[in-house]
Amino acid sequence: MRYRHLIPLAACAAGAPAFAAQYLNAEQAQKLMFPEATAFRQQDLALSLPQMQQVEKLAGLAARSVNWRVVGAYSGDQLLGYMVLDDVIGKFELISYAVGLNPDATVRQIEILTYRESHGGEIRLPAWRHQFVGKSARTGGLAVGDGIANISGATLSCTHLTDGVRRIAAVAQVALKK
Amino acid sequence: MMRRAQPWLGTLVDITADGDPQAESQAESQAITQAFAEIALVHRLMSFHDAASDVSRLNVAAPGELLELHPHTWRVLQLAARMTELSHGLFNIACAPRLVDWQCLPRPGTGESPPYQPALAVYRCEQSPMVCKLAPGWVDVGGVAKGYAVDLAVESLQRAGVASGCVNAGGDLRAFGERDWPVAVRDPQAPQRVGAQLVLRNEALATSASYFSARRHGGRQVSALVDGRSGEPLVTPASVSVRAPRCDIADALTKVVLASGDARHPALAGLHAAAFII
Repeated sequence: MRYRHLIPLAACAAGAPAFAAQYLNAEQAQKLMFPEATAFRQQDLALSLPQMQQVEKLAGLAARSVNWRVVGAYSGDQLLGYMVLDDVIGKFELISYAVGLNPDATVRQIEILTYRESHGGEIRLPAWRHQFVGKSARTGGLAVGDGIANISGATLSCTHLTDGVRRIAAVAQVALKK
Repeated sequence: MMRRAQPWLGTLVDITADGDPQAESQAESQAITQAFAEIALVHRLMSFHDAASDVSRLNVAAPGELLELHPHTWRVLQLAARMTELSHGLFNIACAPRLVDWQCLPRPGTGESPPYQPALAVYRCEQSPMVCKLAPGWVDVGGVAKGYAVDLAVESLQRAGVASGCVNAGGDLRAFGERDWPVAVRDPQAPQRVGAQLVLRNEALATSASYFSARRHGGRQVSALVDGRSGEPLVTPASVSVRAPRCDIADALTKVVLASGDARHPALAGLHAAAFII
């Protein structure tokens, strides 16, 4: 979503991912995180400049984005918590994930939605990312071949993801905490 | 079939539960949630980064101190000691000071690293769950705890009645149940590509290589893998995979094979394991 303004809409010719896994869509993730919820409401955030500065101070990381995809979970009128959707780019992987937060902004659960690797340098190309970013999280309807169930290899660290979670925890602290 | 992934142990942990097609998917999801709780427990107990973990308590303990640890930590420390013995020192979890000096691990506290002395035992497992610190030193169980966590998660899924499944902690994985699980091993020359493909059934597979962790530090190549005999970094273009009945054993044995360069290392056979190098 966040990259969309950078890319012409027609740019979608980049190659298919090397290794990929589809875990959950946003609806499945929110139900897992808040099984007792009776309603989910989309309540996206747009941070103000002072809020962005607070996020950077709290997280010790660049706030990166003004806009955040947020779903509120409710039981009747009672707020149960939030789910924030985000994507992070690693060495050559693009990870879409969801962070479940309590109303007091503490992290409740993290679920990976999709994992995709590029064959080479495509991860840095907005067009390559654009074919995936946002889609899975919104609709879950992205088809991925599942011929290869699992990958074995040297451990790939998930620092980018833990940084992303830290940033979201800070966003929640600044803009969502009740 | 349900597949979920969460970040634990510094990497992504991926769990697939393939239950009875008639079974409620909610039951599968519940079983996966419980399995992730086991992984999270290992993460909390054995993190080098967390000052409250069992591993950190052992690292800051004074020589002679007797510590009561969680039985899981005790088992991992005991397996590590056994691996050191079986590999004649190639595998040694006390090489953490080297990893700290190379900035592969964070420095615990502000003090200097204790020297790494390959032949020196830093701890001794007494009756479970007691562990005695023997000498100044730091241990890091990163080379075996992922495999141990995978085994715990598999046992948890089995207890919950899941017929078959696969648990993969950043490349160290174990499949269970009466079906085949296709696995791709990364090509060490081009890690985004497939170097080998195989099928697992009721078996674990772990892989170690330096292609993700190798980098220059202080004018030389270092990695997150250490030769226990010399304390020198293992920077080899090779990738070592080990198949074994359990993932903790497979995980630990990859380091033995990587350091020895011997895919038929004598430690393998006694543990019903086999290795291949690509």
